[in-house]
Parts: sequence; structure tokens; C-alpha cells
Amino acid sequence: MIEARALTKRYGEVLAVDSVSFTVERGEVVGFLGPNGAGKTTTMRMLTGFVPPTDGSARIAGHDIFEEPLEARRAVGYLPETPPLYPEMTVTSYLRYVAKIKDVPRAKRKEALERALERCALKDVRTRVIGTLSKGFRQRVGLAQAIVHDPPVLILDEPTVGLDPVQIGEIRGLIRELASGGSGGQHTVILSTHIMAEVSAICRRVILINEGRKTVDATLEELTRGGRSLESLFARETSGVEATATSASAPEGAR
Amino acid sequence: MRHVGSVAGRELRSLFVSPVAYGVLSLFSVLAGLFFILGVAAFDTWVRQLMQFQAFDQLKDLNLNDHLIANFYDTVSVVLLFLVPGITMGIFASEKTNGTQELLLTSPLTIWDIVLGKFLGAAAFVTLLVAIVAAFPALLFVYGDPELGKTASGLLGVLLVGWTYAAIGCFASSITRSQVVGFLIAFVLLLCLLLLPAISDLGVMGDTVGLGASLRWLATGEHFQQLLKGLVDTSDLAYFAVMIGSMLLLTKAAVESVRWR
Repeated sequence: MIEARALTKRYGEVLAVDSVSFTVERGEVVGFLGPNGAGKTTTMRMLTGFVPPTDGSARIAGHDIFEEPLEARRAVGYLPETPPLYPEMTVTSYLRYVAKIKDVPRAKRKEALERALERCALKDVRTRVIGTLSKGFRQRVGLAQAIVHDPPVLILDEPTVGLDPVQIGEIRGLIRELASGGSGGQHTVILSTHIMAEVSAICRRVILINEGRKTVDATLEELTRGGRSLESLFARETSGVEATATSASAPEGAR
Repeated sequence: MRHVGSVAGRELRSLFVSPVAYGVLSLFSVLAGLFFILGVAAFDTWVRQLMQFQAFDQLKDLNLNDHLIANFYDTVSVVLLFLVPGITMGIFASEKTNGTQELLLTSPLTIWDIVLGKFLGAAAFVTLLVAIVAAFPALLFVYGDPELGKTASGLLGVLLVGWTYAAIGCFASSITRSQVVGFLIAFVLLLCLLLLPAISDLGVMGDTVGLGASLRWLATGEHFQQLLKGLVDTSDLAYFAVMIGSMLLLTKAAVESVRWR
């Protein structure tokens, strides 16, 4: 579904993303891990077509981001770090507009809108003006925006940041459901986070990015085999030293 | 280009759900009405004075088109100079602060869909303002006998001036994140266009290279005046097309520039 080939982004002298390659299969949920400024957002922005890579390329659902940019973008639902909302619009009119510019055919727009409202539990606030909604609701509108055209690929940049535990649980549940194809088509999901618990809660596979390079790409099972925690992996990969507390209490293969 | 209409429609609706559109429409109607009444009063005084002095030659030259409607249109164009930047100031700047720029640029839209859509949204609103303007000379047709052609060509002039201002406003908004800065840049650019004839009149920079004439050609007012006189010339229409086209090209480059950074 997603195929990144040596994606590289250079901002002047700074190498933000350095030759990152990976493939994500249909129905997979991949967690993008990495410290702030590691290049997670930049990688996602290249996949969504917001910024072009300096080098390398990617295919989304079989469409090359350079050769068929519109087809590739149509196949992606993207929730940026700050949900892209027009505060003066109502939830319904906003989602209708997004459905329109995402090429949902006129005849299917109403159905697409209702489904997105339903899935993101927004029915009660459908007539509300977005600017008056709470942060949790705005995040859900952001997610509804990403799924309204039922794209095969979902790219979510820190989807649960700034939410309370209940809301986090709801959003995670929704993402799991989207990937399993419980209601509607099966989605392929990439989500970035720096919360380890989130990765173990929803992802089957982890890609760790540090200083613009991919340092780990493995399934959650492989990574936690032998009782190792994701935290220690994260600490080791991002600083070069395994967190002492974890390594002392859980040496490799001890449990 | 399939989505120009969607983008334009959203832009226009957004103006009408905020108080901006209603504020601008009310202010504009009041100002236009005021200037029209003042114009009519001045015209009336003029006629009376000329009758008193029995200056029949001058009375014969006096007409509603040149001495009332043209002045009114001219004043309206100055009002637009203040109002249009207010309409366009957030047109691109707010997309950046809302983060919706990411939505637009990751949707299956071309840059032209976005730029043309937004310009047409603003232009549609300006057209609404010009429709209000049209109501005043229409009144004169009830009570007097102005020339239809001249009245219409002047109105076309106001419309083209408004669209040009909107294109300049779009460009100004596309190069900043701040609405206030967007307003100021547009306003300064429009003032420059207004002052160009005065600058070229200084004559310091050489009739030798024809710079004065070029500056004069760039001034919106020069071409507007032709339309006010009832002269619909292709070269003047081309000026407006060139101005709007080049501003939209610059806007496209500015919107696209996030992609090259």
C-alpha cells in the first residue's frame, strides 16, 4: 500500500530525512516512533504530497507521488499535528467541503458524510461551529476529515496528543477499528507518536526514526521478545545507551 | 480545474458566516450612499449657479455622466482601495494559521484550483459591492436622462478596478501568515498604484527611456479614467487582464513555495 524508496528531505544545510525506505502492506498499522525533530512529520508530509522529497520517491496505493500526484493524494487521508479546521464553519459543512475537494462523487457525499460523523461519534455536534468545540471534538473532526473519502491509506501525525485519557482511548479504538476493516474498507495506517503505550496498544509494527534515519523496522512482537520494553529500545536507539534502570532489571532473555 | 468552484464557494460562504461580510456591505452601502447624495447636492448647486449667471454654454456642457456619475465612481474606487484589502487579508494568511493549508495541499487539488478559487470567491464579493454601486446611477435614470453606455462602461471600470484590487489583495495575503500584514501589504501596493501618475509626473526619471510613460501605464487610475469617459478600449481592458493575471501568477508561486522550501 505504501512504498517509500530512499525518501530524503534537505532543508538548506539541514538533512531532515536521510534516505528512509520502507513498505507497508494493506491493513497494517505502523507506529512511527522517534524523538521530537527526528523527521517523523517531514516523512509523513512527503508521503501525503505536502512537501516533495529532495531525493527518492514513494508510491501510495500504486500511485507514484511525482508521476500521479493527484491519484496518490486521493488515496490518502491525512491528519496533521494540528487538525486542519476552519473555525467559522459547522462540522457538517466542513466535512461536506472536504468530501468535495477529496473527489467524493456528488451522489455519495451524503453517505460519506454520515459515515464519517458516525465513526467519529460526531452526530451530536454536527450543526455546531467548529470554533466552539472542545479540543477532543476538534481532534475527532480532524480524524473525520481524514476518513471522509474512505481512503485506503491513513496517515496520522500524533493523533492523540493533548487529549484526556478517555478521549485517547476512543481515538485508539477508532484507529484499531479502521485498520481491522470492522465498518467499511480496510485501511492501512501510519501514525506517529512518542508515547510507547500507544504503540503497544494499536500498532503491529514499529518504525523508529532518529536524526532523519530509519534505525529500527520490526514487528512489535520481535521487539518485545524476551521481555524487553519499548522504552529501553527507544532510549537505546535515540541516545546510543540503553536506559540503565531497564537494562539492569531486565537483561536480555532474562524473562 | 475541477475544484475552482468548491474553493470559491467555501471562501464566499466563510465571508458570510463571519461578521466581516455584513460589516463591509453595510459600511460600503452607507459610504456609497453618502458620496452619492453629496454628489447630487454638488451637481444641483452647480446647475443653480450656472442658471443664475445665465452661463448657457457651460450649462449645455454640464451632464449627469461626466459631472456626477464619473465623480461618484471615482470616489467609490477610492473606498474600494480601503475595503478590498480588508476582504482579502485573510484569504491565504488564515489558511496558514488554521493549518488548513495542509488540507488543501494534500487534497487532489491543483495550485490553480486553490488560487483561482480563492480569487473568484473574493471577486464575487467585490461584484456584489459593485451591484450596490449600480443602484445609485440607476436612480438617476428614473429622474434624469444619463447616457446608458457611459454609465455602464464606468461601472465596468469600477468592477475591473475592484477585481484588480482583489487580485493584489490575494497576492499580499499569500506572502504572509498575518492578516494585519496581509492588509498592510495590499494597502501599500494599492497606494503605490494610485500614486504612480504623480510619480511619473515628476518627470525626474527620464522621458528619455520612457520610464515615466511606463509608470503611467501601470497606474490603475489611467485606465479607469478612460472607461469613465465611456471609452472601452482593448488596451485598457488588456491592462486589467494583465494586472489580474500577473498577480495570480505571483500568488500561485507564493502558495507553491511551501513545496520548494
